[in-house]
Amino acid sequence: MNRYVVGGAGVASVVVLMSLTWLFGSFFWALSLTVLIAALGGGFLVYRQFTQKFSSHPSPSPSAPEKISSRKAAPPADTDNAKDSQSLARKMLDQGRYTLLLRPQIAESIPPKLLQRAQVMLDDEMTLVPGGETIVGKGANDSPDLPDNLDGRVVQVEGFYLDRYQVTNEQYHQFVENGGYEQISLWDPEIVPALLDFVDLTGEPGPRFWKDGKYLSGQAQHPVVGVCWYEAAAYARWVGKRLPTDPEWVKSGGWPVPLPGARPIQRKFPWGEAFDQNKCNLWGSGHGATVPVEKYDEGMSVGGANQLIGNVWEWTSSRFGAWQSSSSPLVLDASMRSIRGGAFDTYFETQATCDFQSGDKAVARKRNIGFRCAIGICDLIPDQSMQAEVHPAQVETQELAEVAP
Amino acid sequence: MTKRVLVAMDSYRLAECAVPLACYICGTDNNYNTELCRHCAAPLALSHQARTQGVRPQMVAVLGTAAAGKTVYLGMLLDMLTRQNSRVQVLARGAFSITLQQRTMMALSNCRFPEKTPNEPDRWNWVHCQAKINSKKNPMELIMPDMAGEAILEEIDHPNAYPAIHSFLEKCSAVILLADTDRIERGGAEQNYFLMKLITYLSEQDSRKSRGKTTRPVAIVFSKADRCEPCFDNPELYAREKTPNLWQQVQQRFTNYGFFASGVAGSVGFREEPGEGTSAVPLRIEPRGIVEPFEWLVRKV
Repeated sequence: MNRYVVGGAGVASVVVLMSLTWLFGSFFWALSLTVLIAALGGGFLVYRQFTQKFSSHPSPSPSAPEKISSRKAAPPADTDNAKDSQSLARKMLDQGRYTLLLRPQIAESIPPKLLQRAQVMLDDEMTLVPGGETIVGKGANDSPDLPDNLDGRVVQVEGFYLDRYQVTNEQYHQFVENGGYEQISLWDPEIVPALLDFVDLTGEPGPRFWKDGKYLSGQAQHPVVGVCWYEAAAYARWVGKRLPTDPEWVKSGGWPVPLPGARPIQRKFPWGEAFDQNKCNLWGSGHGATVPVEKYDEGMSVGGANQLIGNVWEWTSSRFGAWQSSSSPLVLDASMRSIRGGAFDTYFETQATCDFQSGDKAVARKRNIGFRCAIGICDLIPDQSMQAEVHPAQVETQELAEVAP
Repeated sequence: MTKRVLVAMDSYRLAECAVPLACYICGTDNNYNTELCRHCAAPLALSHQARTQGVRPQMVAVLGTAAAGKTVYLGMLLDMLTRQNSRVQVLARGAFSITLQQRTMMALSNCRFPEKTPNEPDRWNWVHCQAKINSKKNPMELIMPDMAGEAILEEIDHPNAYPAIHSFLEKCSAVILLADTDRIERGGAEQNYFLMKLITYLSEQDSRKSRGKTTRPVAIVFSKADRCEPCFDNPELYAREKTPNLWQQVQQRFTNYGFFASGVAGSVGFREEPGEGTSAVPLRIEPRGIVEPFEWLVRKV
């Protein structure tokens, strides 16, 4: 900006100098007058800048006379900022980035009404998985000779929230539309040079099977596919969440029941022990493609997560092979990431159980791999509604104590 | 002490034994009660079934190099066609026809590939089935053996080394040629040359019967294409770019041909087996492009 001002002033000076030379017929007088005009103009500008500076940034000194006027001017600026932050918060809620507002660092500056709305969205869109033990480690990489009861490791998982549904095309489109692929800070540093490769069929940034930066018509509520692990992780960061870890994913599906002094009992499928073709979208269901994420709600987990089994495999944040038995480990590509849950083209139901782990390269952008997000309870402000619910229970206990002889 | 007893043989059984049974594959006469043909080692159950049903089954050959995926392709195909009501359905003829499917599926469901098919013809799995196509009125009888890749190569290099392969290829009405995409992607020319040899062998067999291009339908299937997504998008273009010699040969020698891509494993890892080297491990099973070549072929037969 300054370059243009200086350039313009220079050109103007030359024009004035030439005009005055023609007027006075003497170059010396013309030059003197031009220098004088320039000095006056410069002085005026410096004075104006000086006064502006001191009116907008009042001196912290209590004795300064400007302080009064500046304090009088402060409330409108704060109101503007508050309005801006409120509109930004609303925009984030519309984009589904409610967990960002529920972070302790941000929640303090958010009006209670918006905070409440964010809390409602959290309860609607995510399921709470309590902390506890879970068994992980079965899957393609375990030894077939190992007895079932000795297989798998018991892992302690902290409480967390998990998306009820897989991330849809519509949700991912928000990320693409808002320049998710251009915000370098959202991406893992090692993948930044490869970002230009993450394009759709028409060369636009976005999932592999989209066209012109948009999903195919009629697929808004289908899970987003054709995204690699890095794209999934970047989206999760953008919405203020993260990918679930492998044990977290298993815990949300298997919903283990802790037993004192023994290994927890966990389900094979989110709905129980026996496979039911009507509760998930696998090869045998005959769709041959993804279905909307709300379908197959009969196969919901105990906590209320839908389609953990079937429709699309889900990226987790864990490395593939992390839980494999040491007797005959697989030789794996270092970039292999764990995927869970099976997809519409998974042929065997034994490969679509809560404890079955498969893997793929972190840069693989396949038609049957999508994701859902998670966030730790400890990363969010305490749920006010849950705290409120404590009181009726307490009252009830008190009443019972009073009734008891 | 053993007591010698004379049991009179029923005359109908005597009559049966007196008439030799011709092998359905090579045509050699065999004793009625023999299990495998004494010349080519093909199961005589095929001949028995053809005789009792009064129908002459068509033969479809699945060919490719060793470890190109012939066993997995055939086993998976049969399981898919018997599991779901799709446009093509298959009904096994004889319990022996299910063995291949059973072994392949048992291995794949445990995240393993089936064991290598032995070179000895008497240990091969043969499939005799009835294929029903929605658009066709009458079902077809088909015979499809799972032959060892090394034996196929040996037969091509030294004709008549394996009478079963020689006779089968001479009589078969359609051919599925499997090209290992994984090895093509790794830059090896082995697949290219092997398939060129096979094509030459097949067209030479046909040229004895008639002049000109071969009319026998041939499906060229790029197996293990799950490791190369562009191959699925346009298999013919892939063939033209990656295996130009093969593509050229097919154009010049066949009139009925089609290029396809197929995959069974969604992703593959490797395991060091003590004393056996590295073996591939399927990390999950996601069949893709398995039925299409077969359906195309059966419609052409």
